[in-house]
Amino acid sequence: MNANGSAPFGGGGPAIRATGLVKVFGPIRAVDDITFELAPGRIYGLLGPNGSGKTTLIRLLMGLTKATSGRAEVLGVAMPSRDNLGRMGYMTQSDGIYPALTAGENVRFFAATYGVSGADPVLDALGVVDLAARRDAITSTLSGGQRRRLSLACAIVHRPPVLFLDEPTVGVDPVLRVAFWSHFRTLAQAGVTIVVSSHVMDEADRCDELLFVRSGKVIARGTGQEIRARAGTDDLEQAFLRLGGNLEESR
Amino acid sequence: MSRRRVAALFRRLVEEIRRDRPSLGLLFIAPLVITGLVTFILREGQTPPIDAVVVNRDGPAGEVAAGVLGTALQRQGATVIRAADDAAARALLKDGTASVAIVLPADLGSGGATTITVVTNGLDPSGEANQLSALQKALLSGVASAAGRPLPTIEHQTLYGTPSNDLITNFAPALVGFFIYFFVYLLTGVSFLRERTGGTLERLMATPVARGEIVAGYTLGFGLFAIIQVAVLMSWVLGTVHLQAIGPLPAFSVGLGVPVAGSPLVAFVVVVVLAIGAVSLGIFFSAVARTELQIIQFIPIVLVPQFLLSGVLFPVSSLPAVIRPLGSIMPLTYAVNGLRQVFIAGAGVDAPGLQFDLIVLAVFAVFFATIASLTIRRDVI
Repeated sequence: MNANGSAPFGGGGPAIRATGLVKVFGPIRAVDDITFELAPGRIYGLLGPNGSGKTTLIRLLMGLTKATSGRAEVLGVAMPSRDNLGRMGYMTQSDGIYPALTAGENVRFFAATYGVSGADPVLDALGVVDLAARRDAITSTLSGGQRRRLSLACAIVHRPPVLFLDEPTVGVDPVLRVAFWSHFRTLAQAGVTIVVSSHVMDEADRCDELLFVRSGKVIARGTGQEIRARAGTDDLEQAFLRLGGNLEESR
Repeated sequence: MSRRRVAALFRRLVEEIRRDRPSLGLLFIAPLVITGLVTFILREGQTPPIDAVVVNRDGPAGEVAAGVLGTALQRQGATVIRAADDAAARALLKDGTASVAIVLPADLGSGGATTITVVTNGLDPSGEANQLSALQKALLSGVASAAGRPLPTIEHQTLYGTPSNDLITNFAPALVGFFIYFFVYLLTGVSFLRERTGGTLERLMATPVARGEIVAGYTLGFGLFAIIQVAVLMSWVLGTVHLQAIGPLPAFSVGLGVPVAGSPLVAFVVVVVLAIGAVSLGIFFSAVARTELQIIQFIPIVLVPQFLLSGVLFPVSSLPAVIRPLGSIMPLTYAVNGLRQVFIAGAGVDAPGLQFDLIVLAVFAVFFATIASLTIRRDVI
């Protein structure tokens, strides 16, 4: 993935480590004592209903919100760390791009915030999401799917070894969804660790490993097959319910 | 602080504002229209005519006085009619025929101290004050002409400027300061609020950008537009360009031609320091506001008190002692004072009073920048 062809992260340890992470908002334990290690070069799916704590978990891992207790480490560095953020890409649930700028200007701006300059990385990122031809279009004139793709381009322009994608395929049509996932796979094969949150179970099988999240806890972890075997059902939604989840969070 | 990241933020903001036509209009056209209008009103405004109705209760002795007073009033352009009694005069006031009723008392000719009653409708205090002062003048000249000797005249001299300075000379510097402050606050506030609500701030926080870099980028970006705005507004306020008549177009002048005693460049510096503070003020209030409407709703809280207490409209020295200290914690007070020093008294950067204003403005700018950057937190929830 890197320009020199070396692995983006060669430390041998986990790419991401959470140790007893807790985040409390008033009476709500949004993240409730989560501990795990995620290996480099794999795609992890955080699955769970809306409000189960997936976004808060991602924000804790990135150091964007302060943990009530516990510790998050990315690439061996304790978060929060402003410098370490340069080694991560983040595609937020909302597009998080500037509507008045052109597609190219958006990517160029985020590239600059990561210290990446020059036209090539911008064009590469736009090419990956198939928007190179629309780089001079004002973002507000792009379709919803195009904006989603642009949002992804802004998250990968600096070629980060760790990528957090919060519901990346919401509002994305099936054809584009396939393209997104094939791109995620290419990145993972190049050594990028990807954490994808989703509440759509049918995307789960595209992940190397799944973490079922419910009420701020990881209630099950494993490959799709392992989880199906453990729950004794072929249907992941059923598996989620049987492993202690419910599809509606009470908040 | 990374210069490259600040530059990226600056470039991005410039691109955004450049494409935002309504904001550009607000920045560059609105202040010209408003200052032009205010100038026109102050310079060409008319004092309403005086329509006096005189009631004489003193019989033949009063008739002489009524005649003298009437002549003196007419000399000032007033119309004078007579009424038989109070009630008739009040009726004329009520139906709008008369604007002021003058009742000469029964003991006018007695030689003692007497009181002339003046009745107005009480709806327009400042217009009526004009009428009263005209009346006072007529009364004096009436007395003088009855006594057969002229009154002494008053010659007014001023330390700065000339006595014939129109009101706009005093008002223009304050208006320049206020507009810059207003528009920079409004645009920065709305723009940063979009950053917060549009999810881009969340995303920026997920990059290595430091909050100080964000404040610096915004200050440079909006600072640039503030500088252009000041340049345009000052040229408009200070300059006059006379255009020759071309074909059917009559000759006319562009620009307000307000005299400036000091250096426009010094005035420019004062406004730029004020504007830098206003950028941070906008960022700060965008943290408190949840919607763009709320940024507008903050105007009565943030800007109107400054407008009232900083000497834009009322001189600070005329404010009630209780609220005067409030003015001294408002940046606009120092900007308005500084600008008047430059415009009217011709102060330069070596004038201690102006230096003080500039230092206070700079302190405000640093203070606001600090609290603004504290509102930009990675830990937003």
